[in-house]
Amino acid sequence: MTKRVITLNVNGTEHPVQVDAPDRLIDVLRDQLGTKSVKEGCSTGDCGICAVLVDGRLVNSCLMLAAQCDGRRVLTLEGLLNDPSMKRLQGTFMANNAAQCGFCTPAMLMASWDLARHSSDPSPEEIKVAISGILCRCTGYYQIIDSVREGCRGGER
Amino acid sequence: MSEQVSQLIDSLRAKAERGELLYIGENVVRVDSLEKVLGNPVYTADLIPRGTVYAKLFHSAVPHGVIRGMDLGGAKAHPGVLGVLTSRDIPGLNESSAVLPDRQLFADPVVRSTADILGAVIAESSPAAADAAAKIRVEYDPLPAIFDPLEALKPDAVKIHPKGNIARQMKIRKGDVEEGFSKSDIILEKTYRTQFQDATPLEPEMGLAIPEDGGVRVIGSMQSPHHTQAAVAKVLKLPPQKVRVIQAVTGGAFGPKSDETPYDVCSTAALAAVKYRRPVFCGLDREDSMVMHTKRHPFVITHKTGVSKDGTLIADESKIVGDTGAYASLGVFVIVRATFHTVGAYEVPNVKADSFLVYTDNTYTGSLRGFGGPQAIFAIESQMEELARRLGMDPLEFRMRNMLVPGKRNATSALMDESCGLPQCLEKVVASSGYREKAARYRNQTGSVRRGLGLALLMHGNSLGPEGNDYGAVHIEVLSDGSVSVGSGLTEYGTGAISGMMQVASSILGVPLSRFKLERPDTSKHRESGPTVASRVVVIGGNASKQAAEKLREKLLPLAAEMLKARVDDVALADGIAFDRRKPSQTLTWDSLVTEAYRRGISLKEDGFFMAPPAPWDQEVGQGTPYVQYTWGALVTEVEVDMETGYYKVVGVHVAYDVGKAVNPGGVLGQIYGGTVQGLGYAMMEELLHKDGAVVNPNLGDYYIPTSMDIPAEFKAFIVEVPGPLGPFGAKIIAEPPIVLPGPAVRNAVLNATGVSVDDLPVTSEKVLMGMKLMQAPRQS
Repeated sequence: MTKRVITLNVNGTEHPVQVDAPDRLIDVLRDQLGTKSVKEGCSTGDCGICAVLVDGRLVNSCLMLAAQCDGRRVLTLEGLLNDPSMKRLQGTFMANNAAQCGFCTPAMLMASWDLARHSSDPSPEEIKVAISGILCRCTGYYQIIDSVREGCRGGER
Repeated sequence: MSEQVSQLIDSLRAKAERGELLYIGENVVRVDSLEKVLGNPVYTADLIPRGTVYAKLFHSAVPHGVIRGMDLGGAKAHPGVLGVLTSRDIPGLNESSAVLPDRQLFADPVVRSTADILGAVIAESSPAAADAAAKIRVEYDPLPAIFDPLEALKPDAVKIHPKGNIARQMKIRKGDVEEGFSKSDIILEKTYRTQFQDATPLEPEMGLAIPEDGGVRVIGSMQSPHHTQAAVAKVLKLPPQKVRVIQAVTGGAFGPKSDETPYDVCSTAALAAVKYRRPVFCGLDREDSMVMHTKRHPFVITHKTGVSKDGTLIADESKIVGDTGAYASLGVFVIVRATFHTVGAYEVPNVKADSFLVYTDNTYTGSLRGFGGPQAIFAIESQMEELARRLGMDPLEFRMRNMLVPGKRNATSALMDESCGLPQCLEKVVASSGYREKAARYRNQTGSVRRGLGLALLMHGNSLGPEGNDYGAVHIEVLSDGSVSVGSGLTEYGTGAISGMMQVASSILGVPLSRFKLERPDTSKHRESGPTVASRVVVIGGNASKQAAEKLREKLLPLAAEMLKARVDDVALADGIAFDRRKPSQTLTWDSLVTEAYRRGISLKEDGFFMAPPAPWDQEVGQGTPYVQYTWGALVTEVEVDMETGYYKVVGVHVAYDVGKAVNPGGVLGQIYGGTVQGLGYAMMEELLHKDGAVVNPNLGDYYIPTSMDIPAEFKAFIVEVPGPLGPFGAKIIAEPPIVLPGPAVRNAVLNATGVSVDDLPVTSEKVLMGMKLMQAPRQS
């Protein structure tokens, strides 16, 4: 197989990366670019904990080929660590005990941040839908939902 | 003195006067929260260094047979492959077992299940290892296989292990059940069955091994690093100190990571690391994890129960059969816990229980949250509901008449003392759910959508009991910058229990948890503390943590007294300051106190060690006091059923647990929510299916666990605090219990809505529909 150089814009920085056709986005993000907040839980698109934003859309990076992302903008948690909306969500997640084992937390935060862009006061039902593609085995979701609600409201309870 | 400090001291003094504890009972942010919301690279797979090679395990294709030959040629010739490890490459003991030495790391020559690992391909990349493993050809001479534990119990059954098919047997004998039955007005005998459940921690099992100093360093996702160290050392034929095991941050565990799979991945990685002199990563993908790790045992439980007309339980005889699959693993203790809980939270004067942990050729089962409790309590709580219906009694009144309260005795004749908070739990959920009013209203429904309430009560013996010595060691060091470093062989894997254990020390030292750091559990630094199982960290580790902190306080108080020119007895440590209770304006910061201690060469390192008192259990007689204290709980679920299709959903959950003392109430609620939802998965949808011994649905597309769309709209959780004798400040355990009650509560709610008794978990809509059809069908005469 011949490798090809593509350009990934990850967290605002353009990276030329060498990829083979079957290389998955998750592997390039984790192994070549070091964005380790992206987790792998099933490799079949069922658990959602590898979720990242590609051109503003939440996708499972285990189901997307890196080559499909040539020239596109990829956002991971690492790229949002100074974002005010993300910081509010991180704060409410901490205050509400919404991260237990923490393995789904980066994906949950990405989905929540995506929701917060569109809604400043989402209902529990809207939050459930927004995070429905991401499995959490520890929390039973309730403390996550509370955290997302408060985070979207600007940190208010 | 600043206004702030003065206010703080006022509030602390008020707390002290009210007898309240600093920080205990407060919603404190866990020590590991920040690294998790930042997405820091702290899990095993995040720590893979450059130059690492990858191990892919391969497993048996047949449930029972003898390996005739293995063709490894194709795999070895695959590009990027370094080699293939099989049993021949093991320098030490080919064993990977937790309790009974019945399981090999790489099966040879006999395979007993499709989960049996045969070896590992080592390659430069993970895809190369997987592709090469697919080229391995194994020939077997098949042996007859057994998949039903009741078949395996028959005297003429094929022997799966040389000593026979019973891995563990146990009994309870209290009173005389035959006499009890003769005095009973109603006797009901029914059989209940439970299914395989997968724990599904979102991070599967992972091990990374790096060769060093004539030995190996192993970093992995696990609950019990010292046990893993012993297992790896045995396989590698190395002294244990040449195997250094470090627990990485662990992405969920729920039991299987205290069992044998962490040994498998860590031993394999270590074997290859030593052989090839390279770092080796052995991480299971989801499918391999769901095939190879231990699941929850399917049980077949038969209860024969006698009751008087007025609704008093007189006798219960139970036969409990657990399918341990091909290997016993921690199942030998699971069956013990299940048996102790056979009549649950009720007083029955005559009890006879016989239990059997049985080998089959299914994939093996072992430790999983609840540890035998979910199966035992499903059976007895279902039986209680059926008895109430036959008596024509309200299920709540029937339970209240028979439940354990202080002064009553449980199945093993252990006397319940004042620490039994079951009545308070029941009162909470009955009030919250509006049980009495709703139960009356739902009695005569006729519509096509009907509702029902289901009730279940919990007794859950705390900590290990007779499963083994129950101890924990905690090391605390105050560093020169005033931060507090805590290390233990006990581990964190998601529950927040280690933070709770540290919160105990934080309270004693009067230093907020934000100043505390958790050392990564490391066998080269931390004392062996037994397995991190049975939700015992806050109770057992908390006591050790308290002891270490108290030793440090004994050193710091005289120094503070001298610096404050106060009497030692008058000095208080609170929220990062020391002050003189008699002259609160005299204060000293924690940091300056620590600096002075360092200047004088006072060592601020202490160890705490706690061993639970023995739990006397006479296995010959079948009686005793196997647990020092219990967690109590009550759950009411409300379901809504479509009578046309059998589709139902849980619309409300009302739950209360007596946790003795909630060290961190937010953390306690997190365990209640999370455990209940995992229990709803067990009740309603989760079932790992086997066909001819092979797992049919080892992936998250075909094995359903609850998503955010599946959780009940109404969830009311209550914390009850009746202090227990064992834990620090009266704390009882909480991580495991909440998974237990949803199974029977959902089943009973569906029964009350539809009249259909589903006696085998999970309660699927198909079973409900089938039950309704059978009720409507004209009876054959």
